[in-house]
Amino acid sequence: MSADLTVQNPTDQALRAADALLRSNGGTTAYLQMPTTPGDASDAGQLGLDAPNFQRLPLEPVVFRRSRPTMTEGEPAKYELLVSGAAVQAAVGEMQVASADLLFQMAAGVAIANELFLIEAVSLSECMGSVYLYRLLLRESTSGWQIQTAQD
Amino acid sequence: MQNAKDTFYIALRNRLTTVNPARTMTLRGIVRPGILVEEAEAPMAQLPLDAFVLRWTKLAADTQLPSILAQLTCEIHYATAGTQGNSGLDRGRALEEMDYELLQMLCPSSTVKMNYTETPAEQMGTSIFWSPATFAAGVTTRERVGRVATVEVFTFQEQGEQ
Repeated sequence: MSADLTVQNPTDQALRAADALLRSNGGTTAYLQMPTTPGDASDAGQLGLDAPNFQRLPLEPVVFRRSRPTMTEGEPAKYELLVSGAAVQAAVGEMQVASADLLFQMAAGVAIANELFLIEAVSLSECMGSVYLYRLLLRESTSGWQIQTAQD
Repeated sequence: MQNAKDTFYIALRNRLTTVNPARTMTLRGIVRPGILVEEAEAPMAQLPLDAFVLRWTKLAADTQLPSILAQLTCEIHYATAGTQGNSGLDRGRALEEMDYELLQMLCPSSTVKMNYTETPAEQMGTSIFWSPATFAAGVTTRERVGRVATVEVFTFQEQGEQ
């Protein structure tokens, strides 16, 4: 098997195109619920006694949509969130984590329009080795909590 | 009964730091021993690898004694995909290592009950004690192998204890 030796000049074209598409298709803001830094290393923090005081990390532009049109009784609805690769890159830098995977792993959920959602799975789309879009599969939280977002 | 659950977790966590100090994980931005209480953490789609996860399930109480004797069932879930250096081919060995670590963490099978709602934690008048672990058959899910060990934890309800 031989290597692909064609000349490919990486640009951020796909990244900008994805951002433009997300903005023009109902782009909104989602907030990752992230642990505070430095985190709570105390016994009380590990036993659920201390409030974790999650901080909200905004991601925009994002598109939020229902992924499963057929509803099943007793099953929480599933949604998908399309997130700009540039927004995730910025969030990774802000939180000083090693990768986007770790960022989503650390998140306790996503708040969108005052509702809390839990991250079930993460996939990505890339062009010439550069990720331009993340797709998060979300499950509606059954807690029914209203999460205050910065837009309110 | 919450004091018993808290005491059991802290006892196992402290013993893990002696049994295998290298078994750590990063959770909520903190590097800590590789053990957690599921109900005290944010919900997760998949349990973490190479860590022990305590899940409290059944509860029974003997009210015929002078003090109520509560029996709490704790499921300890753990799974591994082996190590990257061995391309995961050592996952069976890694699971066996976790089995052995758990056996060591559970001995001795009692500890003094503590109240962690006070700062510093307050020693209580009784101890908690637990049964030997019952190990379920290993479960393979793609590259993960895991197991559940079940332990019965016993505690006397003290006067005024919540």
